[in-house]
Parts: sequence; C-alpha cells; structure tokens
Amino acid sequence: MFNSAVLTQVAVDGIGLSAIYILIALGFTLLFGIMRVVNFAHGAFAMLGGYALFYLYGDWGLPYLVAAPLAALVVAAAALVLERFVYRFFYQKMFQSMIGLLGLDMAIMYLAVIAWNAEERSVPPGTEALVEVGDLVFPAQKLIIAAIAAVALLAFYLFTHYTRYGRAMRAAAQDVEIAQAQGVNSSAIYQLAFFIAVFMAALAGGFYAQTYALSPFVGEPQLMIAFVVVILGGMGSIPGVALGGLLLGLANSFLGTFYGSAASTFVTFGAVILLLIFRPWGLLGAKEA
Amino acid sequence: MSSRALSKFKLATGMLCAAAAFAAAAPAGAQETLKIGVIASLSGGGTAWGQGLQRGVQIAADHVNEEGGLKIGGKTYKLEVIAFDDQYNAAQAKTAADRLVNREQVKVIFGPVGSPGALGSLPVTQPAKVLQFVDGYAPSILKNEWKGAYVFRVNNSNLEFSEPIVEWLRKANPQAKKVGMIAPNDATGQVAVPLLADAYKKNGFEVHTEYYERGTKEFTPLLLRMMAQKIDVFELNSNAPGEAGLLIKQARQVGYKGVIIQSGGAGIDELIQIAGPLAKGVLKYDVIDESLPRVKPFITLYHQKYTGLVNGLAPMYYNAASIVFEAMRRADSIDTTRVRDQLERMDDYDSPILGKVAWTGEKEYGVKHQLLHTFLIKEVQDGKGVVKASITPQPQQ
Repeated sequence: MFNSAVLTQVAVDGIGLSAIYILIALGFTLLFGIMRVVNFAHGAFAMLGGYALFYLYGDWGLPYLVAAPLAALVVAAAALVLERFVYRFFYQKMFQSMIGLLGLDMAIMYLAVIAWNAEERSVPPGTEALVEVGDLVFPAQKLIIAAIAAVALLAFYLFTHYTRYGRAMRAAAQDVEIAQAQGVNSSAIYQLAFFIAVFMAALAGGFYAQTYALSPFVGEPQLMIAFVVVILGGMGSIPGVALGGLLLGLANSFLGTFYGSAASTFVTFGAVILLLIFRPWGLLGAKEA
Repeated sequence: MSSRALSKFKLATGMLCAAAAFAAAAPAGAQETLKIGVIASLSGGGTAWGQGLQRGVQIAADHVNEEGGLKIGGKTYKLEVIAFDDQYNAAQAKTAADRLVNREQVKVIFGPVGSPGALGSLPVTQPAKVLQFVDGYAPSILKNEWKGAYVFRVNNSNLEFSEPIVEWLRKANPQAKKVGMIAPNDATGQVAVPLLADAYKKNGFEVHTEYYERGTKEFTPLLLRMMAQKIDVFELNSNAPGEAGLLIKQARQVGYKGVIIQSGGAGIDELIQIAGPLAKGVLKYDVIDESLPRVKPFITLYHQKYTGLVNGLAPMYYNAASIVFEAMRRADSIDTTRVRDQLERMDDYDSPILGKVAWTGEKEYGVKHQLLHTFLIKEVQDGKGVVKASITPQPQQ
C-alpha cells in the first residue's frame, strides 16, 4: 500500500485539506490575537458563508469569482451588527466571550434550521474537472482552494506587517492602552479586525460547503478545526496557523489512509493534549509573561 | 398607586376574572386531548431524520384532528404531538422517554430513529407498558428482556432486506468479487455491517470494512485505503444521507469507477442533492415510490405544511401513525395492551403509504412486531432516483 502512487495521492489530499484548515483558522486566530475573544461563533459565520455562496453562485448563477468573495463580504457586512450589539461587550474578556459566543453560535445555528431546514445540500464547485496525472486523480477545485488559501495567507501577513492599519492592529494586540495613547482608534481597529475575521470565516465556509456539504450544522466541525489548528500553531500567530493547518491536514491524510480513522483522531488530539501540557503557547505562538 | 393606575388595575382584574369564568363555563362535551409522544433527533447531525419522523407523525395527527378527532369509547380525542430531542444518543433518548412517560403521561411514543436511541429508551417505555414505534437496525430492539412486548419496528431492518438486495446485486454483477464498506463506528454501524457482510459472503463476495466516527466529512483517506484493496462494489450500508452523499462524491473524485450501492436508509433525494452529478448510476435501497397514486397525497400534504425535501422517514412515520390511530379506533380503547393486541391483528388494514400491513419477526425476534414491506432498488439517472427493482422480502419460515 505504501507505493509512490498512493503516497502522492495522500500528499495531494493532505495539502487540499490543509488549505481549507488554514482558511478556517485565520479569522479565528485574528480575533483572539487582537481582541482576546475566543470566537465560539466562528463556525456559525462559516456556515452563513456557505449559504451565501449557495444562493449567489448555486442559485442565482453569479460568476464564481464574483460570487465567492461577494458571499463572504455580505456575511461580514451583516455581522457588523453583531459586532456592535454583542462582540463589543466581550473584547479583552476571554472567558466571558467563550460562554457568550457559544450562546450566539447556537442561536445562529438554530435560526438557520428554522430558515433552511436541517437537510444537507450541495454547493456546486467552481469547476467539475478532475485532474488526472498517471494514477493520481483529484478534483481541480482543490487546486483553486489551495491557491486562494496561499494568497489569503500572504495578503494577511503583508497587511498586518506592512500597512498602517495592519500595524495598528498589531499594536492594539500587544497593548491596547499604549496603542490608544499613540493615537490608535481601538474601536475602529477592532471593527476592522472583526470584519476581516468574519470575511475569512465566511470565505472558508463557502469552500468547505463546496468541498463537503452544507447544512446548519457544518459550523461545528469547522470550529473544531479552527481550535486544533490554532492550538497547534499558537493562539494569535499567523505563521502558526499556516504551520498548524499544514501539519493537521497532512497528518489526517497520512494517518487516516494508512492506519484508519480512529488512529488519525487519536494521534491528532493526543498531540494537542501533549502540546497544551508542555508548550501551551503552541509551536509558533508567543509565550505570555 | 394613583387613582388612574388603580382603575386600570381594577379593569384588568375584572377582564381576567371574566375570562376565567367564561373558560369554566365551556361546554362539557368539548374534546379531550390525547398526547402523542415523539422522540427524535431535533438537533445535531441527525436532525433531518428527526424532522422527517416528527413531521410524518404531525401530518397524520393533523389529518385526524381535521376530521373531527379520534373517536374512542364514546369520547372524541384531539391529538397533541409532544416531541423531545434525543440528539441521536442513548442517554438523551432515555431522558426524553422519562419526560414523556412520567411527566406527560403519554401512552404512545413514535421514535427514536437509530439503534442507540431506541435501545436507550426501551428500559423506560417497556416496564411502563407504553407503546413505542421505532426505526433502528439492532435485533435487540425487539429481542430483549421485555420480549418486545410493547415495541414495534415500523420499517424493514437489514435482517429483512440485506439478503434479497445482495442476491439481486449478485445477479446484476456476476463478475464482482470484492465489496468494500465504510461504516459509522456506533451501534448502528456495528449492527448493520456484520449482517450485511454475512449476506455478501453467502453470495461469494470478499468483504473489506472500514469504520469512522460520526461527523466525519473528509473520507478520502479511508477511500484510498479501501481502493487499495481493489474492490468492485462500494457498499454504503447504514450511512446517513449526508455521509452517504459525501462518500459517493469523494469516491468518484479520487477515481473510483466501480459499482456503488446503499443497502439501507430511506430517501434518495438528499443523497443526490449532495453528490450532484457524481451520483449518476448509484444504486440505493428505498421505500417510497413517489409516483404511486397512494403516495402522492402525502407528498402534497407535506409540501403544504413544510418546505424542503421530503425525508424518507416522513412518509414511513405517517404510515406508522396512521396504522396506530386505526388500531386505537378498532380497539375502541387507548389501553396499550388492547391497542397492541389489535395492532397484531391488523393484517387486513390497507395503510396509506405501504399498503396491506404485514407483521413478522416471530422466528427472528420471538415477537411478531416487525413491519415487513416491499422495498425498492433505485438507480440515479438524470439527477433522479428511478425504480430499478421492487422486492418483497419473504418472512423467515
């Protein structure tokens, strides 16, 4: 079974998985890094992103390259209402945010059940094409998602390191009071960070729905993925998300193929537990003083 | 309190008293309410099944109420459906059964779906002699310490349909040698797979099996593992529609070109909805032929009341509830022992969806509480399930 064709297929599948994992976790780590909010409703925004793409692309037939970002934009813009009336009360309150946003997550999820029923539905992929190279077969959609994940990761890194607003975000993340004293408008920065985080979650949710399926409950596994990736990579670290997502995707693919589903789950969560014990700040996170 | 506020308070109190007096003076001949319990997965991944169950029972109850209620023993009962969520797990199903039996005092419970919930709720309902109508594959749902006295299974289990399906598949694919199964690692999968595997082995197939935890979305690693065994037939067994749809989609996406069949579960539309064009050619066990004149009225009723796809469990539970309400009428009682005895003698009743009622299971389970019905094998063609075969399983002699 360990022949080169299977190994290559497993590696390609692992990279495809990693791309989705990275996209899902990016927004989650941003909210924690800047506002110290553990966003338990992250999966719910991803789910809403899936429904937005379902209508814009699957139902209304907008061109895919327009529909995908537009769906994420619509969700992020609508979510600003929640930022004003819910999230704002939880900034810099890590533990309170966990419970409060868990409630928000459930409220959004069951409103979605009322609105769209519980049935699973499919969002058509950007392309139905299969890439076949020798024995290797995989959907071209995975390549598109991997490319978008790479671009999003790079853009995100450049934004936070080389733009005025990005640097202001990082300053607020390090010490909000000193940042404010230096003229940083923390409310505006928080709003911007929230918008970007929800945009990324909704974008990831659209891809997730295309790759798998869409129902009001698809947010739960995405939240779990975001958690594992961010714990592996380090809370608040963007390179950590890239490393965590890559490790998790490849590990799931290799372990799942060669040792089965139970072994994959056991090793993944075992690694997370060990990391929390011996290196709780993650592989690339900053150790808190 | 100001005099204006006081007079408002007096007025409100007066209105309340008048309303109470009016209610007390309501006619003595008004309908009594008969509570009907439902245990269903109304949250989490099994919600589509749970909603199907609940809606099927609700439509049947509404139908009875619209016709003036259930007339039993000189009384007319208005049916009230009370549903509790079991989250597709045994512990929650037991809690739901406790509430329905002890707090709501119901005599009849429909559900749950799935072996974990069914087995979890029986210790509450059976000693209390509450009639329960379940859909789960575990033989011990009927063959248990209470001798299945007050529990009925209202859908074929895989003990009834596995062998006939595999025999049909063998005839259709005489060259096929190896079958691969990917199944959920829970009571449903653990019960369904051995029975199905036995049927395949009896028909000369080699069987390769993989298990996964419910909630898994990415099956490519397991599919690669299974394809390395060079399988000819991919059997989707007891997977929920969502998981079955994903398995089909991902199997075709990694280049699997062999036969795909699902022996189990009702409803092909959700599976097609998820797998899309990649579902083409997939074979599936099903129970409902929507084109039949006897099924169409239910489908119309469903769409008048609810939106979205009709989950296969909705017509099955509409059928089951209709049989039970008819048994109550004929027994002229809501006493559960009398209703049960009547149910066992209902072979002449033409049920709305499945036709003539046939109870079996004496040999397999020691009690004749297994509904045996004709089933279909459908093939996905042009995005729709087309009936390929109709099979009536024979009761074991």
